[in-house]
This record gives sequence, structure tokens and C-alpha cells, in this order.
Amino acid sequence: MKLFKRFFFRGKIDKSSARKKQFIAQKISRRYCFSAVSLFALQSVVASLGALELVIPDLPSPIPFEYGRAIHLALAVLWPLIGTMGMVYFFTTAELNREIYSPRLARWQYWVVMFFSLGIFSTLALRIGNGREYLEGIPILYVGICISLILASYNLVRTLMTDKRNITPAAATMTVGVIFLMLLLLPNTITFSNPITDEATKFWVVHLWEEMAFELTSAGFIATYFIVSGLAPRTEVEKWLYLEAVLAVVGGLYGTGHHYYWIGFPAVWLVLGSLVSLVEVIPVGMLVRMTYKGLKSTKIRSNREKLTLWLLLSSVFHHITGASLLGLFLTVPWINLYTHGTYITSGHAHLALFGSLGFAVLAGCYYILSQGSEPTLKGYKGGVLAVILLNSGLIIMSSALLVAGFMETYFWRVLGMDFMQVRFILNPYLSIRALGGAIFTLGDLLLSWRIFKAWQATRSYR
Amino acid sequence: MAITLISSRLPSPVPEQAEAGKSVWQRNNCVSCHTLFGHGGYEADDLTHITAQETSEYLVNYLVQPPVMRPNKYTRHPALNEADAENLVNYLEFVHTIPTLGWPPQQEEVEEN
Ligand code: HEM
Ligand code: HEM
Ligand SMILES: [Fe+2]
Repeated sequence: MKLFKRFFFRGKIDKSSARKKQFIAQKISRRYCFSAVSLFALQSVVASLGALELVIPDLPSPIPFEYGRAIHLALAVLWPLIGTMGMVYFFTTAELNREIYSPRLARWQYWVVMFFSLGIFSTLALRIGNGREYLEGIPILYVGICISLILASYNLVRTLMTDKRNITPAAATMTVGVIFLMLLLLPNTITFSNPITDEATKFWVVHLWEEMAFELTSAGFIATYFIVSGLAPRTEVEKWLYLEAVLAVVGGLYGTGHHYYWIGFPAVWLVLGSLVSLVEVIPVGMLVRMTYKGLKSTKIRSNREKLTLWLLLSSVFHHITGASLLGLFLTVPWINLYTHGTYITSGHAHLALFGSLGFAVLAGCYYILSQGSEPTLKGYKGGVLAVILLNSGLIIMSSALLVAGFMETYFWRVLGMDFMQVRFILNPYLSIRALGGAIFTLGDLLLSWRIFKAWQATRSYR
Repeated sequence: MAITLISSRLPSPVPEQAEAGKSVWQRNNCVSCHTLFGHGGYEADDLTHITAQETSEYLVNYLVQPPVMRPNKYTRHPALNEADAENLVNYLEFVHTIPTLGWPPQQEEVEEN
């Protein structure tokens, strides 16, 4: 049966799109992307159960909410990382048109990052952890993640150095992004006794990974995608990339201040955090401009490229709205004083972390895993439906969270009502969130299934 | 750069018992439901200045003999043993001494009442 199936799928491979030169690194990147998508599917299932637990009293659960939430956050941090590792290898070779320095190292890196990631999830399931939000796993396991990032950085730098005259902006941007990922995680493997240091360092991952390092890798990926698929001319893309990267680093670095307002740091961070966060928004505008240029091009697009574009456009949409505009609103210190630590933060977190980063990583993973096969019309429609479900689920979920958050802000923070009293009022909105989560999960499973099919169809051909 | 250096002048050292309490806080993943400095879960109250509102005897007793959490009928708040509970409350007392620049906004009124 299996053999028959495989045979069946081989028939659908589009021979014309399979002619481009294949690199070993691109083959290796497939396993990163495949693992990332699988973990994403797992995440929404875990999350939906957690969301239900919040609205149904006494719901029995094998993993208590404290650890379920921790697993959800560990997944939110790690699957985009694993997907990004694959994307960086794939698009660096595509961009430079040569093999990476050491495919063997890239294979090792895969096993290291998977071993330690799965270690984090399973120890958390066994209720062993370190209780720092977003980095709930025990510190030694994050050392392992660091090692995998060191391997990646070394491999990428050596790749760039083998032909110094041939370093393109997109490849350089992605390499710098990965080096930042490594440098910023490193201090988080240390145990601090002071809670202020603890909080401050944590945001090097929670903020600087998402709003600086991944911003760099995603910009590099989008640029390469447009260049390689011929949607935009190279000169047009490269003109802006370095400036965009520099602004992302400057804005990102001191923008960390918008998380430092109330944690016991001096008041300068109120000024610094809010002003520098303005700079953070400029590269987003440039990214949008780049995407727009790519879209305007009238080249005939295959369904595969179109589905990738749908995913990318979703990412750009949420990057502007949920991440940048809402983020900027929350950055104003007088507003943050009241909204901080309410469900509004949670709404922004979902719109930004999944809406903007998650969609971008999924776009890359889909593109990579479907290379060499064109989706059938049914497959394409299924993919588009999945994107619609993901977007509507995300928007329903986050709007419910935002409404709940504004009510929480008003009753709890402005009027000063008792927390638990306010929490009961929010229950209907949390139920709507759970419903949105269910729609999201549906879209997630459907997309993962489509990607799995694409992976299967292109597997034998490699 | 300079600002980063200034910021690193923190209220240190952390008292020994508070440090032990911090590890109790982390071991039990309290941050999944509660917040400190507004960072954490949204299921339960912020605890940054809880020791200004409740006595430490009440808090230790709450943790050692946890009540059923509304609206549940059976599920109780996670329990700690006596020593852990005392260390934890000591940690929360230390956290209360950290200046948070007027956050949370209703704090002053609560303290007056
Ligand atoms: C892709 C981009 C972004 C991602 C992935 C992202 C992600 C997040 C996450 C996960 C949190 C929650 C942190 C926590 O639980 O304590 C957060 C909080 C926040 N973000 Fe963003 N964000 C992005 C962009 C932005 C931008 C552009 C701004 C402002 C210009 C911004 C401003 C804020 C602020 C002020 C908070 C703190 C809210 C609070 O707790 O009071 N974010 N962000
Ligand atoms: C089925 C979809 C999802 C549901 C139902 C869901 C549900 C939840 C729940 C119940 C929490 C705990 C919040 C609390 O303490 O009350 C949470 C937190 C969080 N989730 Fe999700 N989630 C979903 C998808 C995602 C995705 C795809 C990502 C990112 C890739 C994500 C990132 C986060 C983050 C960063 C937080 C922490 C928010 C904060 O502390 O501000 N979630 N989610
Ligand atoms: Fe941030």
C-alpha cells in the first residue's frame, strides 16, 4: 500500500521545476522544516486543551496547567527556531549558489537541537523545570540549544568566508541573525539569584530574539525568496536590505527598554524604551515595501509560489497590525502602566509571535518542503483554506483576548476592583478565545497535512 | 552602553532566605498563573506587592493548607510544605522592596486602606 502510494505521488512531480541545482544543505534543511511543522501541529493541540482548562472548572488533565502552559511557551520559542535553522541553510545556498561549508556539521546540529528541544518538552511534561516564563526548561538543556546555535554560526561564517568576494547582503543578514540568536541565549543558561537580573536577561530572548534576530533571518529569507523565484530584481531588493538590517538591530537593541519599565530598573528606560521603539517600526515599513515590489511583478506564478505568498502576506499583515501598531500603542508608558500584565499583552503576543514570525517560518517551511512538486488544484485549495482558518482563528482568539484585556484594564487597574472578581467577568471572552483556538487548530492540522503531503511527494525524488 | 552599566547597579545582595524562596517560586512554576512585575500568567493576582496587603502568617497558612480555587469545586491551589512556604513568603517580601516606579497604578490606595 505504502509503495503504491509513493509510486502514485511520484507521478505528480513537476519535472520542469526540479531542474535547479540541488545542494546537500537543502536536503538537510528539509528535516529541520519538517520537525518545525510537526511541533507547530503539536503546539496548537496542547494550547487548545489549555484554553479549555481555563474555562471549564475541574477539568481533569494529565499535565497540570502550570506545566502545560510552560510546554506551550517552550514550543512557541523553539519551533520557529528549528524552522529558521532549516530556512537559513536552504536560502543561504540558494542565494550564494554554492554548498555550505560542512553538511556534516549541519546534520549534527539537527540532532543536537532536536535532542535538547525534546528534552525540554519531556522534562516539563514530567513537571521538572526552572520556572522562568518562556524559558521554563532546566538551564542545562538550553546549553544544548546554544551548542546547536554555535555549530550553525560557525558553519555559516565559514560558508561566507570560503568565497569572500561573493557575500550577498541577504546571506550576510541571515548569518548575523543566527549569531545574535546564539549570543542572546547564552546568558540565559546562567542562574541568577537577583530577580531583576533574571527578568532583564529573559527579555534578551523574549524580545531580542523575536524583534531583532528573527527579524534579520526573516528579512534575509524574504529577500532571497523574491530574488530566487524571480519576483523582484536583485538590485531592487539589495538596495534596502543593509539599511533595514541596521535599523532592526539599533531599534531592537534599545527597544528592549519597553519591557524594562516596571521591573526595578531606573526611569531612563521609560524614555529610552518608548523612543527607540519608534525606530523599531521603520524596518517593518521597509519590509512591506519590499514585499509590495515583489507582488507587483507580473511574472506568472505557480500555485506553490502563490501559496507561499499567501503565508507571507499573512505574516506581513500581522507584522503591521498586531505586532507594530498594537505594540507601539502598548509602548507608551502611560498606557503601559495600566495595560501591563493584562490579557492585552497576551493578545499582542499571539498576533506578533505567531501572526508575524510564525507565518513567515511556515511560508519558508512550506516552500522548502514542496520544492520539486507542484500542488494539485485540490491541494492548493486545501492550503488556501488552511491559511484562511489560521487567520480567522488567530483573529477571533486575539480579539477576544484584547476585549478581555481592555475590560481587565478598566475594572482591575483603573477602578481597582478585586482581581478574582474581574477574572469571573472575563469568562465569556475566554470561551470565545477557546473557540478561536479550535478554528486555529483546525487550520493548523490542515496546513500541516498539506505540508506533509508535499514532503511525501518530494521525498523519493531526493 | 553607559545606561546598561548604570542599570546593573541592582539592590544586591539578595538575602539568603529570599534566594531560597526564589528557587521555590521557580520549582513550582508559580509564574504560569501569577505575575511578578506584571510578567507571567493571567490566571491569578499579581504578587509583586502582595506582602503589603496580607500578613505573612496568612500567606504561609494559605500555601500550607491551600483552599479550593473558585469556581472549581475540587481543585485546590498547589500546596507547599512549611519550610518552603516560609522561604517563599520571605522572597515575596524582598520583591516588595524593589521600586517599581509607581506600578501597579492602584497600589497607593490599596496601601492606605
Ligand atoms: C514581530 C514582532 C514582535 C513580536 C514577535 C513580539 C512579541 C511580544 C511578546 C511575546 C510579548 C509578551 C511578553 C511578555 O509576556 O511579557 C510582547 C510584549 C510587548 N511588545 Fe511586542 N512583539 C513584537 C513587536 C513589537 C513592537 C514593534 C513593539 C513596539 C514598537 C512591541 C511592543 C511591546 C510591548 C510594549 C510589550 C509589553 C506589554 C506589557 O507586558 O505591558 N512589540 N511582545
Ligand atoms: C490553538 C491556538 C492557541 C491557543 C488556544 C493558545 C492558548 C494559549 C493560552 C491558554 C495561553 C496561556 C495564557 C494565560 O496564562 O492565560 C497562551 C499563552 C501564550 N501563547 Fe498561545 N495559544 C495558541 C497558539 C499559539 C501560537 C501558535 C503561539 C506562537 C507561536 C503562541 C504563543 C503564546 C505566547 C507567547 C504566550 C504567552 C503570552 C504572554 O505571556 O503574554 N500561542 N496561549
Ligand atoms: Fe518587545
